[in-house]
Amino acid sequence: MASKDQTLPSLLVTLLFLLLFSALLSRISGLESVVDEKEKFSEDLLIRPLSDGKVLSHFYFKNYQRTLGSAAHTHVFPKAISQLVSKFHISELELSFTQGRWNYEHWGGLDPIASSNAKPSGVELWALFDVPLNQVDPTWRNLTHALSGLFCASINFLESPEGVASPNLIFESRLKSGADGFVRYGALPREAVCTENLTPWLKLLPCRDKAGIASLLDRPSIYNGHYHSLRVHVKRSGPERAVVLEQTLTIVLQPTQIREGGMKELPHWSLTSLFGRQLGGKCPVAHSSHVLLELEQSLVESVKASADKTGGKVTSGVDIPDNSVFHVSPYPEAVLVESLDSWDVPKFSSVMLEYDLEKYRSDQPLNLAMHWKQKMAWSSVRGPFRVSRFLTGSGNEKGSIAIEMKKNFNVSSENGDSSGGDLLEVTVFQMVPWYVRLYMHTLTARIDGNPVPLRDITTQMLVTPAEDRLHPAVLEMHLKLPRNMVSLSLTVDFDKGFLHIDEHPPDADHGFDLPAAFLSFPTSQTRRLYLNHQAADNKDSSLIQTLNEAGSLYVYTTILLVPLATPDFSMPYNVITFTCTVLALYFGSLLNTLRRRIGEEERLAKAGSGGKLKKAIAKFMEGKSENQKKLIKVSGVILVAAIGVTVSYVLEHFEAL
Amino acid sequence: MGPVLSHVMVLLALIAGGHATLGPAHTNNWAVLVCTSRYWFNYRHMANTLSLYRTVKRLGIPDDHIILMLADDMACNARNKYPAHVFNNEDHRLNLYGDNVEVDYRGYEVTVENFLRLLTGRHDAAVPRSKRLLTDENSNILLYMTGHGGDKFLKFQDAGDIQSNDLADAFAQMYEKKRYRELLVMVDTCQAATLHSQLYSPGVFAMGSSLKGENSYSHHLDPDVGVTVVDRFTYYTLQFFENLDIFSNTTLQSLLRSYDPKLLDSHMHYRNDLFSRPLDKVLLTDFFGSVMEVEHTRTSYPMYGDDMGVYEPEEEVEALKASPFSEEEVSEVPINPGKFQSTSDLQVTLGLLTLVIIVSVVSVTLLGKGDIVVVIFSSNVEIGGGYYSPKDENDVQRRHKRSDLNGPAKSVALQEPWHVLTNINIQFYVVIEGRWLTSGTGPKAVPHLVP
Repeated sequence: MASKDQTLPSLLVTLLFLLLFSALLSRISGLESVVDEKEKFSEDLLIRPLSDGKVLSHFYFKNYQRTLGSAAHTHVFPKAISQLVSKFHISELELSFTQGRWNYEHWGGLDPIASSNAKPSGVELWALFDVPLNQVDPTWRNLTHALSGLFCASINFLESPEGVASPNLIFESRLKSGADGFVRYGALPREAVCTENLTPWLKLLPCRDKAGIASLLDRPSIYNGHYHSLRVHVKRSGPERAVVLEQTLTIVLQPTQIREGGMKELPHWSLTSLFGRQLGGKCPVAHSSHVLLELEQSLVESVKASADKTGGKVTSGVDIPDNSVFHVSPYPEAVLVESLDSWDVPKFSSVMLEYDLEKYRSDQPLNLAMHWKQKMAWSSVRGPFRVSRFLTGSGNEKGSIAIEMKKNFNVSSENGDSSGGDLLEVTVFQMVPWYVRLYMHTLTARIDGNPVPLRDITTQMLVTPAEDRLHPAVLEMHLKLPRNMVSLSLTVDFDKGFLHIDEHPPDADHGFDLPAAFLSFPTSQTRRLYLNHQAADNKDSSLIQTLNEAGSLYVYTTILLVPLATPDFSMPYNVITFTCTVLALYFGSLLNTLRRRIGEEERLAKAGSGGKLKKAIAKFMEGKSENQKKLIKVSGVILVAAIGVTVSYVLEHFEAL
Repeated sequence: MGPVLSHVMVLLALIAGGHATLGPAHTNNWAVLVCTSRYWFNYRHMANTLSLYRTVKRLGIPDDHIILMLADDMACNARNKYPAHVFNNEDHRLNLYGDNVEVDYRGYEVTVENFLRLLTGRHDAAVPRSKRLLTDENSNILLYMTGHGGDKFLKFQDAGDIQSNDLADAFAQMYEKKRYRELLVMVDTCQAATLHSQLYSPGVFAMGSSLKGENSYSHHLDPDVGVTVVDRFTYYTLQFFENLDIFSNTTLQSLLRSYDPKLLDSHMHYRNDLFSRPLDKVLLTDFFGSVMEVEHTRTSYPMYGDDMGVYEPEEEVEALKASPFSEEEVSEVPINPGKFQSTSDLQVTLGLLTLVIIVSVVSVTLLGKGDIVVVIFSSNVEIGGGYYSPKDENDVQRRHKRSDLNGPAKSVALQEPWHVLTNINIQFYVVIEGRWLTSGTGPKAVPHLVP
């Protein structure tokens, strides 16, 4: 009995202690989770071999800040961005710096990477502001200046409204999530992109290029590539208006190609051959850090076909990282397979090899390499249409702009467009500066070469006519096209305007670049669903999460170069000098003619030299000796000089007073 | 002992005739580097500017104090065989573009208007800080310009030009607005001397690569890049700067003397009539570098403490707590002058004093009548202060070198005799037949004490 009495209190005490302890533990863990969620940074690198032998590298850095305090201290989130977002009331912003042209045919057009990272050359900026309408333009103006300072670029040239559009239709699908506010869009097609833009971009990363995936960014290798696009995307989302910052850098590099027997072999590549560096571990503050190698569906298909041919094995038994076609080293930690929805895995689908950088150190770096064993032909997933834009007409006075869409062969009815039914939906956005004067009534559409009335294919059309030096012409069309069509062309005629002499850039003879037009296909989804069933925790790659999200397809056209009539810049000078000479000649001779009286000179000569004063002096001097005359002359000179000096002194003094 | 020594120093300076002091030295350095030429064949102008950018950055001017204006993009130009590289020598040893270049004005932004706005500080309210010259009356500014010029003008991008009187008026406005303390203008263009012929604002020192009627030539062609990569004047300037570091005592006079008209193929011209300091006393780092005093304060940022969770040995924390650095606290701490921490300090100091006396006596006896010897013996150290315990040799050196420009360091205490040696300047000013000869030990001459 006594022992029981003793055990009960001790048990109670133990229980109490345990309770306290668990409460304490939960509090600590709760604190931890709060700290975790406040800011989160993750980094990823996706590498994809392209069918033309080049290699696509996509650097993806995602930064998350839950609350946006004005003076709040941030650990990993760049303060410059949070200040920008709070000061300019930005709901969403995207800025891209691009050099080169995305090859939609060979590098793909339908996947999320191509759709969101294929950007027009130069700078493109759009932003959604959460301010009243009358505040939008001043806010945009200040934003362009702030960004130009932040990213060492001339983005401030977008401050003037003559190059800025306020699109409505084209961003509808992009801003689907009930975002209200006003959008402004601007582009600088001529803007150079180089190291000075990368430098500030890297400074937004918590580890800069000192550790983690960004340490691969060797400047010469990047700018030696065929295409590079630097992108900053800021978005506020969720009920708490958390700020999500995505920084991406997309590069297409050409590994050194070895020719064997005149045949173009697929080049082997490794991180060291592409960037001259290896990956020595992750950025220490990164929540997750992954390197992904994506193999396209048709490549996987070819590999499996080749394995079938040679080994006659069962298709599912092909070892993706090491097979008869290529060999990938090191062996990946996980292999993810693209699926149509959560459990349905098709027969052939893209494959993602995943490497977690957590397992690599500087003394044991990751040098991802791909070694081809045999030549293999495959193609990337192209978009539904091949889009091009060009100028027609001849002469330096007028012409027309044409946008042509040609159906790609591989588009079949079973492709992504599930909701479109028999109709294909396309939205076209085109912004043209005021000095290219569009005649909107000449806008014609042709389907398969035959003119079609616009009202038959357009569901919505917004036209903002240009106003000289105030705003550009903006054309937005929402089209519904028959699914069986092969090609569509839209043409519009234009005249070329004249610029003032001081409106020409220093290299006006180069011509003027028109910003790229772009098209969106709201019904085509760019989504690659990779489900990682092994990684149940939230240490999953954030890039894969982004790929899993559905987005609509965007296609950019190239920029257009329009030569304008440029004046002879020395002309004003010539005109001024010539006019002045003529005027001077005219004025001088006229004045001469008016002033001169005929015969006056002779009269004056007759009247003798000298006037009354001289006569008076001569009278005064009469009857004086030579010495007296001399004295009078000298004193006269002195008197005059004295008067002069006094006058000048008095004047000076007066002035000084 | 320290204050006594500094008194001696002041006294000696007064005896020596006491050149009017210029007040306190500048507190910040700025550089405005302008390349005004566009197009690939003007590659060398970009390379000139970037070379200067690299030099001033190496000598300590931070990126936010450098305004770099490049009229075109050379590094990523389609014609450049070496993307993201700019070279100023055919040996290609140095990539001027580097990894961390920050260009503030580029392309079409490099205009006369923007340049004058930058100098005079008349910007639109929206212009970000990184594009402004945020100088004050204590700033020394280096202005480097290169491009194509002529008699009294410099072209901007083949589309506009700046006249010499515009430049002079801009400087005058800067002077009125107290936007600089001293301004060094360096111009590498044809007929560069004409560009600064009309300057009239005090405190401006101007130098140019060529006289009126002369051309400034490029130095050499790089067959790989395909264009000439550097101009002669800039090339020899860089050659001179190559061996200088932030602690260098080299003066402007030596730079000016280094230019050889035969090598330049033109005559370097400078004007110092608006400049008050003698050129042999103007350190190059006054303009091309940034020498700043760094003082650690404990008040603004809690570097040590429980809240930081940083491991700190207890005694060390205590020791640091007892040695505050902030000025207010320093003034409160009683200073006990004239007390040495150890007898070895006393011995070393006395020995040095004797040495100085012997040297002066010897030099006086050796020299003839009418020659004057001035010996300045100064110490930057307040012996016996005991606020700062140097961690190692480098620490002392670093701190010492930082502090010597701006008067006596407030908190360097001595533990080893060696530190006395490193912290004492002995300078001899000898006049022989009216010419000054200077010699000295110690890290750097004190500029405003020099005759």
